[in-house]
Amino acid sequence: MSTVSTPGHRSWTGAVKGWTSRTLPPKQVLPERQPAYVASWIYVFGVLTLTALLVVVASGLVLAIGGAVWWHTSSIGHFTNSVHLWSVELFFACMVIHLWGKFWMAAWRGRRGLTWVTGVIAFVTSIATAFTGYLTQSNFDSQWISGEAKDGINSIGVGAWFNVLNPAQMLMWHIVLLPLAVGIIAVLHIVLVRNRGVVPPLGDEGKEVPR
Amino acid sequence: MTATAERRRRATPDSHDYPTRSYDLVKEFVVALAVVTALSLLLAAIFSSPDDKAITMSGWAKADPADVVATAAGELAGTTTSATYGPPYNNASEGQSVLGLKLQKWGGVGIPINSADLVLQPLRDVAADPGLATALRVWDTLQASAQTRLATAYSDALAKAPDGNPARVAPGRYGPVPSLTSAFLRLAASGGLEGALTSSGTFYGGDQTRAMLLLSDGAYLEDQAVADHLGGDQWGMMNEVGNYPGQPWMWLYTFWYQVKPFSTSDNADAQVWALMMALTVGLALIPWIPGLRDIPRWIPVHRLVWREHYRRTQQS
Amino acid sequence: MSIAFTAGKYISWGVVSTSVTNLLVIALMVLVFILALVLPFPHAHEAPPAPHGEEDPS
Repeated sequence: MSTVSTPGHRSWTGAVKGWTSRTLPPKQVLPERQPAYVASWIYVFGVLTLTALLVVVASGLVLAIGGAVWWHTSSIGHFTNSVHLWSVELFFACMVIHLWGKFWMAAWRGRRGLTWVTGVIAFVTSIATAFTGYLTQSNFDSQWISGEAKDGINSIGVGAWFNVLNPAQMLMWHIVLLPLAVGIIAVLHIVLVRNRGVVPPLGDEGKEVPR
Repeated sequence: MTATAERRRRATPDSHDYPTRSYDLVKEFVVALAVVTALSLLLAAIFSSPDDKAITMSGWAKADPADVVATAAGELAGTTTSATYGPPYNNASEGQSVLGLKLQKWGGVGIPINSADLVLQPLRDVAADPGLATALRVWDTLQASAQTRLATAYSDALAKAPDGNPARVAPGRYGPVPSLTSAFLRLAASGGLEGALTSSGTFYGGDQTRAMLLLSDGAYLEDQAVADHLGGDQWGMMNEVGNYPGQPWMWLYTFWYQVKPFSTSDNADAQVWALMMALTVGLALIPWIPGLRDIPRWIPVHRLVWREHYRRTQQS
Repeated sequence: MSIAFTAGKYISWGVVSTSVTNLLVIALMVLVFILALVLPFPHAHEAPPAPHGEEDPS
């Protein structure tokens, strides 16, 4: 680590710079090489999940331009809504396949437990985001789903603060709070992946690594 | 062997110690983005997306007028789902509990709603209806117990009438209740009920809580949903209208509602929620749970993932 | 496409009930997962050319 501050007088900036460069050394951010064992299609489902999330966000941004009920009356709006729906289906499908893959690789080994935990949090937060999306459709689906879901939310005592029957509140959760949460946890997840590196194959524990 | 050496023996090797091969992360990202974008556009173009119109109060009144009248009578009698709900709407019951924790009760009445007002308040806003004005005046002079008695009597009579048809209710002492409920049906049919419930006293109506509680108190909404396989006991949580894919990722959450003890429990919502939270925490903690974390060793799917690596290391 | 206006197709097996579409989605996911495991990854069989440590492998 290299800070330019004088010894014994480290600046806050220097400390943060040191921490970031330790957490993600420039060489580790976008390496051009990977361990030779990284050779399977199962490895692409993480990046597929990330790119599906980008399509979800992009189509959501287009929907945001027209507003909450635009898609009921505009054919472009309806098509954008369709892209939003199908990219969400792809997002969840890729995320679940990614989860299956990482489980069978026991990818939490070697101080990678937190990576697994952030992945699970990302999954749950995504489900909450999708749920609020269904509530903000302003159609029959959102009527029925909100009417049913209120019982679940009320049963744990939080219905007055998270009122699924209030589409104006659910819209804010869907397009501001929860996407922000998904984004932050996704960034944390990816930083951890880059920081720890790709998990070595099962069964190599304690072996002299072939060089 | 010392403890340190033992740890080292069992430790996962450092990925930096392995030989490497070139791997273009940015190219992988760009290709993935192109593939997912193309697939999303293609699926959207082929299959579109569902948008069944929201049920309107006038649609409800026209499709099932008897249900609107029965629901209104129930609100006045205090027998509907919302009237007997408990927190956060009222104190009519304690609500659900799980493991002795009365979470719903502890949440408190944060959105106070008097179900009778779901009927009476919109009616009070109606002008130029002398019959209705008289009925409201009579209703207001009645004691609460008399209001409940008359509304309950009418509610019961509606339930016994053929098809619940208000016109075929047996004669009886119902006071102003039939006048109120028929005026309510007229108001619903006119299309003015949503506005009266959601933006009364405020120009901007964004909160549908009152309108949704009224609609959910009726049978019509649920009938439509059940016809579309969306009912809670039909695995409805993961389904979607028509042939569209729903939320397959909700399979486990909705599964519990289909089996005992949850399918017959009054506290199913709280219990299933607690169970799913516990299972989610369990999923997050797999790396530290002996047995669960060893499954990938016992069922060697990883031999497929890293088959080239194992082949190479066996040769060397 | 008019699938919005046709009634959904459902199949039941004991307590299990699922729409044909959801079943198809899940089946496709399993299929893609299996294919991802068994299909050869391009250049996977090539001998690792570079010694370790020269570049960062993470």
